[in-house]
Amino acid sequence: MKLLIQTVSIAALLIVAMQSADAQESEYSREGADTCLACHDDDLTLAVFRTKHAVPSDSRGPFGHGQLQCEACHGPGDTHAGRVRRGQERPPISIIFGTGSVTPLEAQNGACLTCHQADIGFSWHTDAHPSDEVACADCHLSHAATDPVRQTATQPDVCFACHQIQRSETRKAFAHPILQGKMDCMGCHDIHGDTVATQLARLTVNDTCQQCHAEKRGPYLWEHAPVSEDCGLCHSPHGSNHPGMLTKRAPLLCQSCHSQSGHPSIPQDADGLAAGTPSQFLLGQACMNCHSQVHGSNHPSGSKLMR
Amino acid sequence: MKRNQTLTLCIAAAVLSSAAHAQDVDTSDWACEYCPFEEGHRADYELGATDVSDDSAYFGNATGYDEEGVYANVDGNGTYAKDAYRMRWEAEDLGLDSRVIGLDGGRLGSYNFNLGYRELPRRQFNSTATIFEQTANGTLSLPSPWVHAGTTGDMTELNSSLVSRNIESDRSVFDLGAGFYLSDRWTLSADYRRQEQDGLRIGGGSSFSQASALPMPIDYVTDEVDLGIRYGTDKGFVSLAWYLSDFGNDNTALTWEQPYTFDPIIGNDTFRLAQAPDNRFQQVLLQAGYSFPQQRTVVRISAAMGEIEQDSEFLPYTITSSIATSPLPRSSLAGSIDTSNFALALTSKIFSKARIKLNYRYDERDNKTVQDVWNRVIVDTFASVDLEENIPYSFERSTLNLSADYDLLDTVRVSAGYDRKDLDRDFQEVAEQTEDNGWGRLRWQPTSALELDIRGGASERDIDSYNETFATTLGQNPLMRKYNLAYRSREYGDVKLSFSSDKFSISLDALIAEDSYTQSELGITGGEERRVAADFSWTFSENGSAYLTAGFEEMESEQVGSEAFSTPDWYATHDDDFATYGAGFRVRNIAEKFDLQMDYMRSDGTSEIVVDSNVGGPSAFPDLTSKLDYFRFRFAYRRSERFELNLNLRYQRFVAEDWALDGVEPATVPLLLSLGADPYDEDVFMFGIGFRFSIGTEE
Repeated sequence: MKLLIQTVSIAALLIVAMQSADAQESEYSREGADTCLACHDDDLTLAVFRTKHAVPSDSRGPFGHGQLQCEACHGPGDTHAGRVRRGQERPPISIIFGTGSVTPLEAQNGACLTCHQADIGFSWHTDAHPSDEVACADCHLSHAATDPVRQTATQPDVCFACHQIQRSETRKAFAHPILQGKMDCMGCHDIHGDTVATQLARLTVNDTCQQCHAEKRGPYLWEHAPVSEDCGLCHSPHGSNHPGMLTKRAPLLCQSCHSQSGHPSIPQDADGLAAGTPSQFLLGQACMNCHSQVHGSNHPSGSKLMR
Repeated sequence: MKRNQTLTLCIAAAVLSSAAHAQDVDTSDWACEYCPFEEGHRADYELGATDVSDDSAYFGNATGYDEEGVYANVDGNGTYAKDAYRMRWEAEDLGLDSRVIGLDGGRLGSYNFNLGYRELPRRQFNSTATIFEQTANGTLSLPSPWVHAGTTGDMTELNSSLVSRNIESDRSVFDLGAGFYLSDRWTLSADYRRQEQDGLRIGGGSSFSQASALPMPIDYVTDEVDLGIRYGTDKGFVSLAWYLSDFGNDNTALTWEQPYTFDPIIGNDTFRLAQAPDNRFQQVLLQAGYSFPQQRTVVRISAAMGEIEQDSEFLPYTITSSIATSPLPRSSLAGSIDTSNFALALTSKIFSKARIKLNYRYDERDNKTVQDVWNRVIVDTFASVDLEENIPYSFERSTLNLSADYDLLDTVRVSAGYDRKDLDRDFQEVAEQTEDNGWGRLRWQPTSALELDIRGGASERDIDSYNETFATTLGQNPLMRKYNLAYRSREYGDVKLSFSSDKFSISLDALIAEDSYTQSELGITGGEERRVAADFSWTFSENGSAYLTAGFEEMESEQVGSEAFSTPDWYATHDDDFATYGAGFRVRNIAEKFDLQMDYMRSDGTSEIVVDSNVGGPSAFPDLTSKLDYFRFRFAYRRSERFELNLNLRYQRFVAEDWALDGVEPATVPLLLSLGADPYDEDVFMFGIGFRFSIGTEE
């Protein structure tokens, strides 16, 4: 409670401290978007008019009343749109977005944050992507009627353009249904979200997993210690060669921690396979054939996670 | 490209709202006459049919194409726009068990809403069979006639009693949300989700030395609510949110009849285990952020308090009525966990070429569940002579990350960081654990097209002491060092290289890590991890592109055990290898009418396990393998802007070698009545034809 009160106090001070922004003078074209569209009438450019960025009734948006239209994002265009002498190269527009752009990264992102600072800017500054010099336009297509990074089926490919190792993991035999287009990265990761320093959808790994796997939350009468601490101690959430996305096969996975005398300590070798002397400690669900309540048991006789 | 001015300019940009820009520019003549603003409605519909060649659990998983036959399908999406009102809907795979329906809209700047429904099929095995029949009261009963026996091989009615039961479940998610912009600074959001999951999973039912794989019914419902209010300006924000996750399980227990021989005097012919209990999690989260432009600094904090509750009524110690038991200490757990999370993040550009970053997190799980003494009945057969106390695990975890970047040259940035993790636990062998991690990084970007990023570091996880006395009370060998509690040193490195031009892009990421557990006599003693992934893409025309991808991984670990419950007498290695390749191309607008797309992917997984014991000597298991081939070809013919015919061909093959399942029929293992699941061996051809047509606003 003390922590909460302190945080409330700081938050209240911050509200009081906030003040209006200052204005800045710049040179813009004389006719706004009409100047731009006289030349840029291709499909890619015009697609922006199918997005929320181009709604004249939205006073906050680039095309709202009195706003700067194309130049709200691309910067002053007077020089770019002006006359050039024969043979002279036309000067580029102030801000060009995307891969291969000559516009400095900070200028590209600054254009986006001009409007989006209040909602996502703070998380952006303090998370990992700016350290890696990622541009907003590396992930977002602001002119597309449907931005691929905001669609479940297409979002992973956007993320995998940089996170290639994670893409490989999702192609393993046992993985969340990302390859099938039924789950996206933001099911677990909240890139612009409010979680500080984790970029997870919830505040901890377990809270994130339990959004969909709430049955494993407990608390159980008989808890399994690693389950209560971190799902990642036994599971590889991006994918695994092993069923259940386990980090390795049982019984070796279980024997990484369990050394009680008797069957937990017995090495289960290949003699126990179906062609040899079939072992219930090795085949089927291995240890979980009996200790099936591995995430915890609420049975009064369930201390060994068998009930 | 000039580097490392991100923070300065972003902060500068942050204080320059677009409105402020606009105030200084005369836009009165900006008529936007050529702007084709979206008004009215438009929609794309696709009607199609897909023929699937074979039954397949693996390919049916998540997609819904799990059975041979023809699937009719409907997809579509559409938009409606009028003034500031926007609405968008989408429908996907309506003819499948993976259908998705979504609707969102609102008035820009005023409010928005979303409504969604989706299903996700989980198809695990379609080769399983069981003798158990589920009765009306939920009990898994034996067939009649049935001959009990001590081993599965002697169950004479087994083979004739097996009934095919697929291990599968279906999840559905209903989602309703809304957001309100109360002013340009205040926003209010509310979201409700309901997830339902029903079907079967494999459960393990044990008697003393025997086990039965059970088709365990699933009937879960989870309700989630997110409410939030946020005050935000360009300089700072404050938000307050409440989260609720309420889980309910219609099956509190699973009862099954014992197929093995039972003791007629005890009468332990029926067993019961508890299923996951209902639980509820609530959390309040307060956050704030502020930017200090003069100091070129951004700071964020968050604080959350939560509570997890679980108070489902206990089952009795045993379902076997002939066994005398003491009264339960409580009728329900009254389980309660308090959670606390605090975080601070600070980024500051201390001068033009340098930036520092600090992240601090504190997470606490304080399990306040009361401890009692329990006198269990072992597998519903006999009362234990040992009294046991339930252990409510708690921990405190704090993580500190400090890093600094410095622009050595215009093209070179060097970084260094230090991470510290402290973990204090209750009721475990290690009470206090720390991990220190130091790393360095060099990034070289000679041109905007080429970047080399090298990172390396080393960490050491240390513990105050490993409490062998406590471990012994848990029955553990005192030499065991659980891998998450053990001393560990780690060295790692990561190299990324990327090059891009107008036509080509190449990127490579290689990572290596080595773990050493030098103070562990039993348990994990070492591990290595090597991963490489590479991409190549080629834009060979305005409408055509091709790509190649590849990835390789090797993960090795070594562990030691003691069968004699003394010093090490067996050793094991567990190596996971994985390789994946992909290739494809797509060409659009061939003769302004045709699109072609082809994708191919192959993934090979191999796991090698060797167990070497003093008694049995080296014993290598057959490799666990999985081979996935995926090929897709798509052809589309556009009759007009509003009508398209498309053909889709998919071939998928998945073959697995898995000794845990291979040859394991219900009666193969004398003391395990399995469901007889087979390793995956599936070939599926899918051929689909679809017609897409568009209505609404003209292009």
